[in-house]
Amino acid sequence: MRLSRRTLLAAAAATLPAVRARAAEPIMAGVSGPLTGPNAQYGAQWKRGFDLALDGINGAGGVKGRPIEYVFEDSQSDPRQSVAVAQKLVADPRIIIELGDFASPASMAASPIYQRAKLVQFGFTNSHPDFTKGGDHMWSNSTSQAEEQPNLAGYAAKLGFKRPALLHLNTDWGRTAKDAFVAAAPGLGMQVVDVEGYLAAEQDFRPTLVRARDSKPDGLVLLSYYADGALISRQARDTGVKLPILAGTSNYSPKFIELGGQGVEGDWVMSTFFPGDPRPEVQDFVTRYRKKYDQEPDSFSAGAYDTMVLFSLLCAQFGTTREAMQAGLLAIKDVPSVIYGRVTFDPATRRVLGANYKLLQVKDQKFMVWDGTPPAAG
Amino acid sequence: MGSWLDYTINGLIIGNIYALVAVGLALIFGVSNLINFAQGSVYAVGAYIGWTCFTYLHTPLAVTALIVVVACAGLGVAIERIGLRPLAGAARIAPLLATIGISLVLDQLLQIVFTPDPRALTSPLPNWRISVGGGTIGALDLLIAATGIVSAAVLYGFLRFTKLGWAVRATAQDRDAARQMGVNTDAVNMTVFAIASALGGLSGLLVGMYFNHIDPAMGFQATLKGVVAQVIGGMGNVPGAIFGSLLLGLTESYGVAIFGSSYRNLFSFALLLLILVLRPNGLFASARSTPPEPMTGSFVTPNRPVRVPRWAIVAAVVIAAAVPLIPAIPYVLQVLTNAWLFAMLAISLTLVAGTLGQISLGHASLLLIGAYASALFALDSHWPVWASIPAAGIVTALLGTALIAPSFRLRSHYVSIATLGIGEIVGLVILNWESLTRGPMGVTNIPPLQVGNIELDNPRAAYWITLGILVLLAMMQTRLLRSHLGRIFRAIRDDDVAARAHGISLGRYKAIAFAFGGFAAGISGGIAAHQYSYINNETFTSTVSISALTMVILGGMGNVLGAILGAVALTALPEMFRGTAEYRMLIYGVALLLLVRFRPQGILGTT
Amino acid sequence: MTDLLECRAVTRRFGGVIAVKPIDLTLREGEFLSIIGPNGAGKTTLFNLISGHDVPDDGTIVLEGVAIAGRAPERIAAMGLARTFQHGRVFANMSVRDNILVGAHHRLRAVKPRLPGLGALAELAMALIRPPAVAAEEAALNHEVLEIAALFGDRLTPRLDQPAHSLSYANRRRVEIARALALRPRLLLLDEPTAGMNETETAEMQSIIGGLKARGQTILLIEHKLDLVMRLSDRVIAMDDGAKIAEGPPHTVRQSPAVIEAYLGHRAMGEAAL
Ligand SMILES: Nc1ncnc2c1ncn2[C@@H]1O[C@H](COP(=O)(O)OP(=O)(O)OP(=O)(O)O)[C@@H](O)[C@H]1O
Ligand SMILES: [Mg+2]
Repeated sequence: MRLSRRTLLAAAAATLPAVRARAAEPIMAGVSGPLTGPNAQYGAQWKRGFDLALDGINGAGGVKGRPIEYVFEDSQSDPRQSVAVAQKLVADPRIIIELGDFASPASMAASPIYQRAKLVQFGFTNSHPDFTKGGDHMWSNSTSQAEEQPNLAGYAAKLGFKRPALLHLNTDWGRTAKDAFVAAAPGLGMQVVDVEGYLAAEQDFRPTLVRARDSKPDGLVLLSYYADGALISRQARDTGVKLPILAGTSNYSPKFIELGGQGVEGDWVMSTFFPGDPRPEVQDFVTRYRKKYDQEPDSFSAGAYDTMVLFSLLCAQFGTTREAMQAGLLAIKDVPSVIYGRVTFDPATRRVLGANYKLLQVKDQKFMVWDGTPPAAG
Repeated sequence: MGSWLDYTINGLIIGNIYALVAVGLALIFGVSNLINFAQGSVYAVGAYIGWTCFTYLHTPLAVTALIVVVACAGLGVAIERIGLRPLAGAARIAPLLATIGISLVLDQLLQIVFTPDPRALTSPLPNWRISVGGGTIGALDLLIAATGIVSAAVLYGFLRFTKLGWAVRATAQDRDAARQMGVNTDAVNMTVFAIASALGGLSGLLVGMYFNHIDPAMGFQATLKGVVAQVIGGMGNVPGAIFGSLLLGLTESYGVAIFGSSYRNLFSFALLLLILVLRPNGLFASARSTPPEPMTGSFVTPNRPVRVPRWAIVAAVVIAAAVPLIPAIPYVLQVLTNAWLFAMLAISLTLVAGTLGQISLGHASLLLIGAYASALFALDSHWPVWASIPAAGIVTALLGTALIAPSFRLRSHYVSIATLGIGEIVGLVILNWESLTRGPMGVTNIPPLQVGNIELDNPRAAYWITLGILVLLAMMQTRLLRSHLGRIFRAIRDDDVAARAHGISLGRYKAIAFAFGGFAAGISGGIAAHQYSYINNETFTSTVSISALTMVILGGMGNVLGAILGAVALTALPEMFRGTAEYRMLIYGVALLLLVRFRPQGILGTT
Repeated sequence: MTDLLECRAVTRRFGGVIAVKPIDLTLREGEFLSIIGPNGAGKTTLFNLISGHDVPDDGTIVLEGVAIAGRAPERIAAMGLARTFQHGRVFANMSVRDNILVGAHHRLRAVKPRLPGLGALAELAMALIRPPAVAAEEAALNHEVLEIAALFGDRLTPRLDQPAHSLSYANRRRVEIARALALRPRLLLLDEPTAGMNETETAEMQSIIGGLKARGQTILLIEHKLDLVMRLSDRVIAMDDGAKIAEGPPHTVRQSPAVIEAYLGHRAMGEAAL
């Protein structure tokens, strides 16, 4: 309800020229993402992250006296609509950067249009390794699986896994992650004994778990989103699988615990940020997020938040044109970030390295930093 | 092997869950001869009502279940009364479409009221579990099984031993005869919807508790599995639906056991097709059933199609071709280019669904085939784009026809379900056939549209190319419809029994229509692949199939011009509602319902 | 004269009901044979077995020396058998002209090149290209439609371009017969062609069917109106309860005690007919 009322207010405000005339001309970002359709929940999280960031930025006077705003064009994360959205955003001279889309088919279908128009397409959830190869205007601060998975594998080794079984979402994202994990495992003295790619929208994992169990693993690794991760973990316990479970960063969400309940108790989750992290960026983000939305943030809202903060700094340091965005991304250094310590882009890959990875554990239905106790011998 | 026991138990547990939805679908199909696509949405509504009761009213489970049952029964009555009864006189397709519209509206409402985030629906049942094999069974599993069996038993008793039940059965056997015998068939329909919806809502509650997870989109998957399960058990057969669900659950579980998780749904749909082709009346029908009775009521609404004069068509094409000349914004060109691509799919579908009368619910899979064919010809065989796209059209024509051919002997709803299954299978094969399709990573770096060295990779060129190809395809199709083939296709649609009596071989002519339609759809998919530069198995999903069908019905079944008009309207409408953000799909759903209600024959009329 | 159609011990059961008990039937070239019998006697079922819409459980059906039991109806139609349906099955959303043209389907030649394996593709190509031969064939058939429609006086001719669903019930029956004639059948099966028609219309239909007979058309007719049967038939078969109860010249059959008994047994029908 909150979201929709906001939208209406925003729409009403847009129709009042008086309001706009008084304020300075806003700096605009275009967002292409899902507000309706099967991925709408992620679009909703984005909005929360964006709005929280903007509260801070515009509350402090915006950038050089101008507020930052965004137009969120619903694409349903459908390539047919994301290309139309792309043309719309490209043709709107006020828009100097584009953020999104959510899934790779929608983002990458629109890339040629942004590239041609020399409008930066900032795909902050696009971990498909080819996304930034679509052209020199495709950038991403999505954590790279090539960096993330060795970290996850490192934690798996620390937990004492020698023969993990791996369950992954069988999409481009899950596949990339799986390949990176499997590649990193041998170097850490692990051998992945079973790989199960499950279908998006699946909810029943019992047969998959029996299959994994039969490969006699000593731990389960989940490369899933939080909703599937919670289901898998619950059903693992129901099917009598007592193995330790380690889940990747996209499982870090309060929903993981809400949906998983006792079924996720004791699970390990790797995260790029943690509310208990003393860094001021994180504390500021987390406390304000809780206050504004009365819920815990997750990695999707954190990603959106980081992205909006990055955008405001680009504007402040490099100017408010499309060219400035491209030049700025090449030059900008050490941007404060919730997810990364400091953000600096690699000009060759147009991605960021150096995310913070922490290992958390669900204890008494709360995420706690792992205290180093290895799993009890299962 | 101990694991086989586990696989069996797990298969039965999930089958149990499918059964709850399948029973409601079977009941409605049995009486109203309608696949109720809104059943899954009612199920989601039930889950959310349950969540609201638990969260805000803190009601115990029994009271919550009662509230859900009563509220969903009321919803069922409303659906029947407001959404379906007014369509009684319309063509058979209208109610089907109405249920799709209703489901869209309900899902969107849930999303707006409850946000799209998934929520936990925590079971208040005691958490005791018994060990069976390597796994456990909990109180909730038993409750779900009991609900399935008890509801089937109560339904059976109701149908056998009560007066209203007798009326329901009479209506199911022969609606017209029942009406003549004084049965109030409207009341019967309403009762059936109330019962089925109550059951649907209750299942949503229980399944939500089982997974501890509800979300506004949960209905679609449930409907899909429910439909498959009830086809296996025999459409409209209530005990059969339970059996079909268990069999489906077992098939999936064993399928995962043998081939792995990524193949899971492949088995459900393969089983579906196998049963459709070998035993179209379900596993329980007697071996040689009586030949089908003549269908009462005609397939398309009798009407006079609007005659659009030739000069008007020429003028429209000229205007359309001139749009890029005025300094139009690229966004408009892109939306219209999308519309032309969708229109190619729509004329393809209007041929098979409208002219030939075979409602395909899996038409998007033809786009996938066309897109992959053209992309792979261009990338792997290094064909120029101008050659790879027509080649993709031909591949799609042949492959699409070959896939659907085993289902040529099916009629009416069975065709729709078979095509639905084929559509899902195509997507899953693309996902899993990695050596050819690159699996979930999709195909990247597809070359843009170009002829020789001239890049046509700008909105204007893409617009003209797609428009030109569309006009060409539409002209060819119009010519086809004026030939003896148009006559034969319509004869098959209107009465396939009479058509055969005059020497028309159904298989041959269905193949011709599907091949011709597959060509147009394949071209559309091919062009899209080069436009997007990246495709994967999720680029064209089943929602695209449903959109295409609504375009066809909007324009008027079988009407080439209508299909194009429908494509333009339904591509432009959601764009026009863009300002309404989260509300736009809701508006779309309502518009669809109003259309079906007030102009079931479509804007330009069926031909 | 040779036997055009020969049925031997043809049987069809539906669950417990034996709709057609082992029945024999022969029909010579040029003959006019009628089947009478009360409701539910199994007449239509027998028609369905002959035309391939249903498959006999037992027995043989031979059309022009070829065993056809169990063959697909479209193949039987291609052998020159045309039929009408008791309850009328016109193509409701097609014009009268197109309905009749569909009847001529198996006579299309130019548009259906005989290429093994590629026939369907060639047919599609011919339909799209429409070479002169195809156009000529279509024109000739259109001309023939006019001739066939003319058989029905001015009942159909002015309505050739109307959709069939807009016609009166009687006219729809006429369209069905016209459509069957367009097949140029060697054997024509008519299932109650005058059902639902008033006296004038029945008389008109009688003279049309008489005209066909005079042209030498072989006809197998199911009819309840005995007057019409008596006037047109060379021979009559009476059925009751799935079995043949009498066979012979019209008047002999009519006088047969078994037939009278059968009709009296079905009182309402009997009174209407006798
Ligand atoms: N498809 C079917 N399934 C089950 N029983 C059938 C079927 N078709 C016909 N019957 C039964 O077979 C018997 C013969 O029916 P049929 O229609 O052949 O009679 P008929 O002689 O044509 O009667 P009428 O004069 O009323 O047309 C009837 O008892 C009928 O109920
Ligand atoms: Mg009969």
